[in-house]
Amino acid sequence: MTASTLASPGDTAAGPPESRRQRRKRERLQEQAAAIPVHLYGLRRGTVTLITVACVLFAIFTLVPVAWIIINSTKSQTGIFSSFAFWFSRPFDFFHNFALLFQNVDGNGTYFQWFGNTVLYAALGGGGATALAGFAGYGFARFRFRGSKAYFYVIVGALLVPVAAITLPLYLVYAKAHLINSIWGMILPSLVSPVGVYLMRTYVDLSVPRELIDAARIDGAGEARIFFRVALPLMVPGLMTVLLLSVVAVWNNYFLPLIIFTKNSLYPLTVGIGVWSQVAERSGGNSDLYPLVVMGGLVTIVPMIALFLVLQRYWRGGMLLGSIAN
Amino acid sequence: MSDTALKAPRNAPPRTAAARRTRRSAWSRRRDRRGLAFVAPFGIAFTLFTIVPLLYAIYESLFTSRIIGGTVFSGFGNYHQVLTSGAFWGGFVRVIVFGAIQIPIMLAIAFFFACVFDLGVAKASRLFRTIFFIPFAVPIVVAALMWGFLLEPSYGPITHLANAFGFGGTNFLSSGLILPSIILIAIWEWTGYNSIILYTALKSVPRDVVEAAILDDTPLWKIILKIKLPMVRPAIVMLIFLNSIGALQLFVEPEILSYQGGSITNTWTPIVDVYNTSIANAQYNLGAAMAVVLGLVIIVVSVASMIFRRQRGELS
Repeated sequence: MTASTLASPGDTAAGPPESRRQRRKRERLQEQAAAIPVHLYGLRRGTVTLITVACVLFAIFTLVPVAWIIINSTKSQTGIFSSFAFWFSRPFDFFHNFALLFQNVDGNGTYFQWFGNTVLYAALGGGGATALAGFAGYGFARFRFRGSKAYFYVIVGALLVPVAAITLPLYLVYAKAHLINSIWGMILPSLVSPVGVYLMRTYVDLSVPRELIDAARIDGAGEARIFFRVALPLMVPGLMTVLLLSVVAVWNNYFLPLIIFTKNSLYPLTVGIGVWSQVAERSGGNSDLYPLVVMGGLVTIVPMIALFLVLQRYWRGGMLLGSIAN
Repeated sequence: MSDTALKAPRNAPPRTAAARRTRRSAWSRRRDRRGLAFVAPFGIAFTLFTIVPLLYAIYESLFTSRIIGGTVFSGFGNYHQVLTSGAFWGGFVRVIVFGAIQIPIMLAIAFFFACVFDLGVAKASRLFRTIFFIPFAVPIVVAALMWGFLLEPSYGPITHLANAFGFGGTNFLSSGLILPSIILIAIWEWTGYNSIILYTALKSVPRDVVEAAILDDTPLWKIILKIKLPMVRPAIVMLIFLNSIGALQLFVEPEILSYQGGSITNTWTPIVDVYNTSIANAQYNLGAAMAVVLGLVIIVVSVASMIFRRQRGELS
């Protein structure tokens, strides 16, 4: 695969700015031009309909839990248990439930505090991971220093080490280093993204020409200047993909915050909702936490889905990287 | 800015035999040391938050803390206890069964839809592509909670549906059905993501090969199975690999579903076992030994499969 399939011209070229609508149209046209017209496949009549039906069925399977959580976020606790699960029921409690997210219900913690924590952890951890991966990917792709191959193999090896197997060791170190119940205990390990380094090395290899860097050197530019002025603009689509993947990784992380935080004011969303659900289940339906669990779940997934829809073209580029990576 | 290409050679060290042998100009080596500076920030974080914890876990795993007598060196005592524990290996077997069922089903569905998107043989395929990818943006905690509600034995709508179809008294969270239920959740979570990766891999199949096959009147299913499938084999192998590592680490789904019923034991998967041993029961040293064993098993399996693939010429 060549670099040209990776970054479409609109991603990097410094032409006149393209509006979103124009870009979408161009992408659709490119896709149509690349595809072989369906009638050439010699399919039997009705095959397209049959396959579309299969797509619809899988889409229903995909959307059932999402529809359920949207509908049930409007219900009271009794509504969740006694009314038909896929339709609305009275009373309409959406705003009441939403308001509860700002309160510390039964002393188990406040949802919006967790939301703020999660945004902080994801921004610092994901942003930092992307910066480190960008520097390191560039370093590995465009320099040959003593031991560079060996270092890189160690990082590729780290891809194989299960994250969960590192989490308990981290906890043991934190217990000695006083990082239990510290936000840095959550943020600092999130900076390590071997996948990000691997993807960025591949991306730099494909999209930052050596000749360009050499030309800048001959012109007398220092390495830092070359990186920020010449290489970085070309690396932006790759960096966006790594940012997206590392933000999602922090946003979804459950095991690490579960074991290093004992104060509920430090929880991220995943742990907070998990604790709510545990309290709700243990009380055997006597607590009124179920609407909060449902509403909290909804508010957790909405920003992520929005992020993915807005940045669609970057994750598509990222998946492309994934296919090169093998 | 001082280290320019033109200026540097003057600072070159006196030539030794070794320097002549490498024949690499001094300025390029100087520049290369700058490469180390780019890699260093990641290198430091990687050392502190991956290498050091792993080494420390190995160190801790060699001790045992007793109620009387404090922490004492016990050599491989913890490892002996882990390796002879039926419960630990039972969890291992369970995640292997989980992966052996979930991964092939998921990849088959993912490959089917990847082909559909690649060929454009469904209507509104861009819309479906976006919908199928949505679960990837849902944290596993929330996914497990939603499915936990849907499958709940007394009020869960899917349980009602099963009852309506004559499967009265079905309990999806009972010890017999909990594994299939978690397989279902994992398929929901990951099919779209795998499908998009396969779709992008399929896009790299040269168009003229497919066109030539069409001109030869090759049926579509043959084009898919005999031309496209072999060409995306490396991507499929990679996905099997990544999903297997993920399966061995199964933790969040069983942990969240364990709140709802008693069919998930404290040793249900290796990571559930690590969590309960070290955090809930405060047997840190034993937990460390478990984490080390788990990590080693995964590394051995991955290295072995890499060597196998390299021998077959699938890795460059």
